[in-house]
Formats: sequence, structure tokens, C-alpha cells
Amino acid sequence: MKHVATALALLALALAGCGRYAVRPNEKEHLANPVMQFDEDGQEAAADDHVLSNREGSAGGRGTQGGGCGCN
Amino acid sequence: MRRAASIAALLAAPALLASPAAAEDKVDLTTTWYQENRQGGLGGLTVIHPQLDIGVDAGEHVTLDIGYSADAVTGATATVYAVDAVSQATTFDDLRHEGKLGIGFVGKRSTLGFNASLGYERDYLSLSVGGGGSIDLPGKNTNLALSYNHSFDEVCDRANAELTPLERRALTGADPCKKNVIFGADSYVMDNPVLGLATTWRDLSIDTVQATVTQNLSPTSVLQVGLYGQILEGFQSNPYRRVRIDNNEPQESMPDTRARGALSVRLNRFLPRLSSAVHVSARAYSDTWGVSSGTVELGYSQYVGDSLLLRLRARAYQQTAATFFKDAFFYETEFTSGAYFTGDRELAPVRNALVGAKLTVITVAEDDKKVWGLFEKLNLNLKADVLLLDELAADDPDANLGGRDGQFLTSDQLLDAFTLQLGILADY
Repeated sequence: MKHVATALALLALALAGCGRYAVRPNEKEHLANPVMQFDEDGQEAAADDHVLSNREGSAGGRGTQGGGCGCN
Repeated sequence: MRRAASIAALLAAPALLASPAAAEDKVDLTTTWYQENRQGGLGGLTVIHPQLDIGVDAGEHVTLDIGYSADAVTGATATVYAVDAVSQATTFDDLRHEGKLGIGFVGKRSTLGFNASLGYERDYLSLSVGGGGSIDLPGKNTNLALSYNHSFDEVCDRANAELTPLERRALTGADPCKKNVIFGADSYVMDNPVLGLATTWRDLSIDTVQATVTQNLSPTSVLQVGLYGQILEGFQSNPYRRVRIDNNEPQESMPDTRARGALSVRLNRFLPRLSSAVHVSARAYSDTWGVSSGTVELGYSQYVGDSLLLRLRARAYQQTAATFFKDAFFYETEFTSGAYFTGDRELAPVRNALVGAKLTVITVAEDDKKVWGLFEKLNLNLKADVLLLDELAADDPDANLGGRDGQFLTSDQLLDAFTLQLGILADY
């Protein structure tokens, strides 16, 4: 788990470094599309977790709702 | 007994916290029907799960969310984990309610949210509080999110705490589980404290933290990496479940502490020429009970005109067993190897597959003419999933003289379960 945390921290730093120029604001049309949002339907995601956590022994850790369009 | 359901609701909380970014009034109503085939001649398992969420803006930077969900469960269940569990199946029903509240603060580049939820059923109470935030880094191509939840749960149980694991008896549906509003209360034999405790409530504390990095990789690709951790401390057995050990049938016995962690990676790629998107995700999980798992999921979303969206997906999952899990024959004939023994099929070696489709009908207001006279946007969702659920051998099959076919009530058919879901999401 320590190696995983270290790898994730390095990945976050790398992504943060390249994120500034990765996509310009006028290039975010497709990123703003609802199908590009993770768990865009929050109730569907919750219901999925609900079903699967009662059938599998490793619940949790799906991720966070939303996307990276930066359109707020 | 819906402990896992309560945990699932808790797991959904971080997703709720992220929602203030989409600051708009909305109503979301979804009903899910889960149907599972079961052996034993007593029918299958049916779960009806309605969900209602309402979100409103309270000014430019504040959102309020209120939600309700329920589980109506009915069907066949095993009374004891044994080689011949199927022949001793019985039926049960259960009803669970959950309410939740949330408040979100939306900034130019950041969000902050707090939430609370209360789960209520005959034998399980759950009070959860949490908070989280997210921030877009300069350029708005990188989003960092962090959330934390704590859940104070109580589980109704026979007054077993002073007994050894092999002496403990299981709770039954006839045992009382008294409550003082939202807190559990002890019950006494024949309501007489002099005669001793009949049932009591056992604590379970759950701490959950989740961190994600979401990164725009290109104008058509976005990646999310997530790290998740959870610590459960307290009573984690199913109080109703018995395990046959020699000629004894004590209540199952689980360790009090469980720590779990997961790493997930998800990628969405938009295909402009096809008006479609590809979704890929993978997840690795491990916990201190010895369960390790891997999940991969592929999805494809396709717009058909302006108002239809079709999504197809496939998911594969496999896990190892908990270190103390055994196939029923070995509990029956070898006694227990330690203080812990369980008949929970979630702790067996499991391999599952899922395929499904979802159709969304999208209607958007035009020229000041609102949808149904009320809404700016309305999505109607219809979803169907088929599941193949398979428990594998935990111990040497050649040495298992009792076999595994009758130890779980799970389906012996090709398709084990299906889910149908109907939902309405309205922005107003």
C-alpha cells in the first residue's frame, strides 16, 4: 500500500504539472459533454454500488463524480 | 440485515459531495428492481430500491440537497451455512429507509460540501456525517478531490458478548430489537431486567476517505485516478447467520477490525466523428481479511440524433476468499481453525460478470417552452443489467466430500440475476 500511495502521489504531481497547458478553454467542448463525466448519473452509480456491495466482498473506491472539463 | 447496504450508501456520499459543481435545481427519481434466482424451491430474492434526490440553489454559491431511499427486500435465505443449506432455506422480508441532507458551497474553482445521512431498519441503525472538497488547478485541466465520512452504526444482536464464539447463538426474526427514536435500546427477557438481557445493540464505526485526481489529457480524453481507504471497527457479523461446526450451530464470528484500500483508474474518450464515447476502468482492492480483487469495465456511449443516448457496458470481477472462510464441509468436519468462521458468500472466492444497456431520452426546453411546462431539461433513463454470479472453491475440491452445490442458495442457472432501472432526472 505504501508503494501505491507513492505512485499515486508522483502521478498526481506529474498530472498537475502538465495540466496547465493540456487543453485550452476553447477546446473543452467535448470534455463538457455529459457522457464524459464520471458517474454522470449519481443515482445509477449509487444503485450499482448498492447491488454489487451485497454480492462482492470488496466494496468502495469507485471514484468521484464529475469530470475534468473545468467548465464551472 | 442490510449492513452492506448501509456501507454502500456511505460509499455513495463522496459522489454526492462532488455534485455542487453542477449548481442547478434538480429532481432525480430512480427505482431499481433487482431479481436473483435462488435454489431451494422458495423463489428468488427481490429488492425494490426507490431513490429520490432534490437539489436547490440557495443563492449563487450555495446548494442544498435532500434525499430519500428505501429497500424493500423479500425472498429466500439460508438459515445455516452447511453442506445442505439449500434444504433448510426459509423466507424473509425486510424494509430499510434512509434519509440524507447535504449542503454545498461552490466557488469559481472549488467546491466544499458537508452531508449527513440516517439509515433505519428493524435491526440496523446508521448515522453518517462527512465532508469533502475539490479544487481545479490553474488551467482547469486538473481537479483534486478529497472526502471523508464517519458512520456510527448499531447492529441488533442476541446478548452474546460474554460467551465464547462457539457458544454464541444467532438472532432470530422473533427477537425484539428495541429503539429510542434513532438509537438502539436493550431488550430484556420477558421485559424483566431481573431475568437478564435478551438482545442488545453492538457498535460498528466506519471511517472512509477517498482522494481523486481528474486530469484532462486532451480535448477528447479525461482520466481519473482514485485512492480509497476504509477502516471498520466493531461488530461485523450477520447476527442471523449460523455456521454448522460439528454438531453445533453457533452464530458466525468475524474479526472486529477490517481495513481496506482500493486504487482505481478510469478513462473516458470522446469520438467526435461518431458522436460517441468509450469508457474504460480498472480497480484493484485489498483488505486485512485477506480479500483481494480486481475489476475491469468497458463501456460505449452512442448518441442517436439529439435526443437519444445508448450506453452498453461489460464488467468482470474476481476476488480471493477471506483467510478464515472455508467451504461448509470443512467447518462441519474439521471444527474451526480459530475464533472466526463465516458463511458469508461475499467472503468466498467470487467471480462475477455483468453486461448491460442503458437508454436515455433527452428533452431540452426550446424557445422558452419548458419541458412538461416545468423543466429546463428532462432525462428519462431505462437500464437493464444481467449478472452472472459464481462462487468458487475455497478449499481443495478433491477433499470436499460434501460438495459445494448446496452450501449457498445462489442460482444454478446460467443467468443468476438481473437489474431493471427506471429513472427521471429533471433540471428546473
